[in-house]
Amino acid sequence: MQIEKEEIEHISIVLEEMKVALIEKNSTKLRDLSDNTIHMSCSHQDAESITIVILAYVLSKIVEREDYSRFKNWENFVEKFNYLLNLASKSIKLRNEKTFREGIEKAIETLKNISKDETSYIQDLIKKACINKASKIYEHGISLQQTAKLLGISQWELSDYVGQKSIEVVKETKKVDTKKRAKIALEFFGK
Amino acid sequence: MKAVVLDSGPLINLSMNGILYILKGLKEKTGVRFLITKEVRSETIDKPTGIPRFELGALMISQLLKEGTLEMPDNAGIRDERIKEITTELMDYANHTLSSNGKFINIVSPAEISCLALSKLLSEKNIESLVAVDERTTRTLGENPESLEEIMSKKMHTIVKINKKNLGKFSNFNFIRSTELVLVAFKLGVLEIKDPRALEAVLYATKFKGAAVSFDEINILKKM
Repeated sequence: MQIEKEEIEHISIVLEEMKVALIEKNSTKLRDLSDNTIHMSCSHQDAESITIVILAYVLSKIVEREDYSRFKNWENFVEKFNYLLNLASKSIKLRNEKTFREGIEKAIETLKNISKDETSYIQDLIKKACINKASKIYEHGISLQQTAKLLGISQWELSDYVGQKSIEVVKETKKVDTKKRAKIALEFFGK
Repeated sequence: MKAVVLDSGPLINLSMNGILYILKGLKEKTGVRFLITKEVRSETIDKPTGIPRFELGALMISQLLKEGTLEMPDNAGIRDERIKEITTELMDYANHTLSSNGKFINIVSPAEISCLALSKLLSEKNIESLVAVDERTTRTLGENPESLEEIMSKKMHTIVKINKKNLGKFSNFNFIRSTELVLVAFKLGVLEIKDPRALEAVLYATKFKGAAVSFDEINILKKM
């Protein structure tokens, strides 16, 4: 992954703001950070920016629902998690992409292992976050299959989910409008 | 011979709606054949097999392939190697069509582009074909690529530029969706639900399982 200067700045700011938002239990900020990073994920399509999108979204959900009370070690988690974000942020600024990647990978592992008793709850949250964010990436103009591949989810799950969303349908063109497409299909089948 | 090249989306859509049988009915009634590529078979049969939630759907699609309603391209005399070659070529064009901050954006994957490759190869054999794709991006690339530039610029909050040189590569395909497939099935009496509301219901059903079709379009289609 070749990261440009302004993207390094963006990632670094997102990671720094994520740390603060987590300490302040600011779910709106966490969600905004997730949404803002999606734009970058669409153009780069790298595992790290996608993971940051998912992390920020999952944490926003935990904070919003006050589900952190389910975890006895929440404070320890925040400390460890923020240490890893800090490491990732410093590494990206130094263009040390390997350490940056490791920081992000360890951050999501830390989240997954936050509590042995709540493994399925966290997995479920991550899965739902992946599907939700995949639908956003699809909205940005990336094909459904490419999006499913990026998020590591099944196209079956994604088709079901995007069907429920109001995703902008492409404007009709002179070439093919609704009636013309239907006529093409009907004529093709001999009707 | 006439053929519809099915992408994963319409197969998943019809399967989730429990109306995959219309493909068999359409083939028997009209002789139009339904072809799928190796990549689409992988997405619709191989990958979901073993995932409990989608296994039945995958098995139903697999059954259509076994009984011959769905066919692999070699049945039409087209080799996988040729599809792979054309897919690589088209993928390269498609993923070098839109750029942001000087970087090209990967907008498509091999599965949907393999359908275009197969359609192109069918044309070379003078076999008329339609490409059935439910998702928005591939269809837009062929029919209205400028709107893709517009959508991406708006959503990504940045300037997305289009490389117009590549657009001609995608302008000769005829696209339909599962929405049009069910419309044809209804008109030909292949849809097994005999109720005046069936057409409207089945059009909506395709929308809610991922076909990129607007409510306005459904209103037009149900009056046809």
